Amino acid sequence: MVWSASPSSSRNERSYWTHAQRHKCGFLLQALRQIAQRTVSTTSRRNFENKVSEKQKLFQEDNGVPVHLKGGASDALLYRLTMALTVGGTAYALYQLAVAAFPKKQN
Amino acid sequence: MTHQTHAFHMVNPSPWPLTGAFSALLLTSGLVMWFHYNSATLLSLGLLANTLTMYQWWRDVIREGTYQGHHTPIVQKGLRYGMILFIVSEVFFFAGFFWAFYHSSLVPTHDLGGCWPPTGITPLNPLEVPLLNTSVLLASGVSITWAHHSLMEGKRNNMNQALLITILLGVYFTILQASEYFETSFSISDGIYGSTFFMATGFHGLHVIIGSTFLIICLLRQLNFHFTSKHHFGFEAAAWYWHFVDVVWLFLYVSIYWWGS
Repeated sequence: MVWSASPSSSRNERSYWTHAQRHKCGFLLQALRQIAQRTVSTTSRRNFENKVSEKQKLFQEDNGVPVHLKGGASDALLYRLTMALTVGGTAYALYQLAVAAFPKKQN
Repeated sequence: MTHQTHAFHMVNPSPWPLTGAFSALLLTSGLVMWFHYNSATLLSLGLLANTLTMYQWWRDVIREGTYQGHHTPIVQKGLRYGMILFIVSEVFFFAGFFWAFYHSSLVPTHDLGGCWPPTGITPLNPLEVPLLNTSVLLASGVSITWAHHSLMEGKRNNMNQALLITILLGVYFTILQASEYFETSFSISDGIYGSTFFMATGFHGLHVIIGSTFLIICLLRQLNFHFTSKHHFGFEAAAWYWHFVDVVWLFLYVSIYWWGS
């Protein structure tokens, strides 16, 4: 169940391509085999590869950006969304408070 | 470029305490609008703003610890104190509901029939699903300990499996308890029995969901190689919280389900 990078599977891949070339299975078939092998095996490997050192490099860059924005453009987007909801919501809450505090007189 | 010459953590200015505080305003005023004016807009805004705040705040803590290295031993000590104190505050929170239960059940009033369970209340059989729930949570306590030891011993596959099992047991408990809620012949409005039963078990169920969420985050972090065999406080905090949730259930089971029937 756990995806992990295993050296043995990459060895099998290389010998598989060589097998295809050796037996002249056709360029198209070989290309298809390569794509299938590449997407299946590396997708699962890409999902759970150790990317911590890359992240450490990104977040330790001495650029003066605070940690809540240091991840990139999506950080700024999410921050703006959160702030907009908070400020807008507060304004709406105060408006509802004003409406509730001054009920319209009914005759 | 000046760098710190001490081992403490001077955090960057952050907007999340502000958005968190205002989201609390939206949540509370939202509840008022929902209860009294039949409008769920404010409440929804509050829930969304609160969730976004929690996500970004804790995302930043992970960045500061795992990616920036700010969680030195002394900082980690502070985090440990913090988690322990938070759990102690939760213990007091549940103590209130247990106080209410015992106050009403030890000296049942005349209008209940002078007995507990009150006249007309058919409690759930403690030897059926509630007992299964007890075994599910106890088993999850074992599996999370297995996960911890596997983590400390560097056994990655074992850790992943044990943590997954713990989460699945937590989800199983939630599903079982939800189905039990539909099985009861009484509701929250059925006198003091209904009130104490659903307030105590209801808040417990919420804490199981919170604990399971915390564990799921830990699983995602574990799969992404955040934890080392020596440094994994996030996981330990989740494990402490999970054991607390388990202990609360044991008290609930013995007091409300078993003695209270």
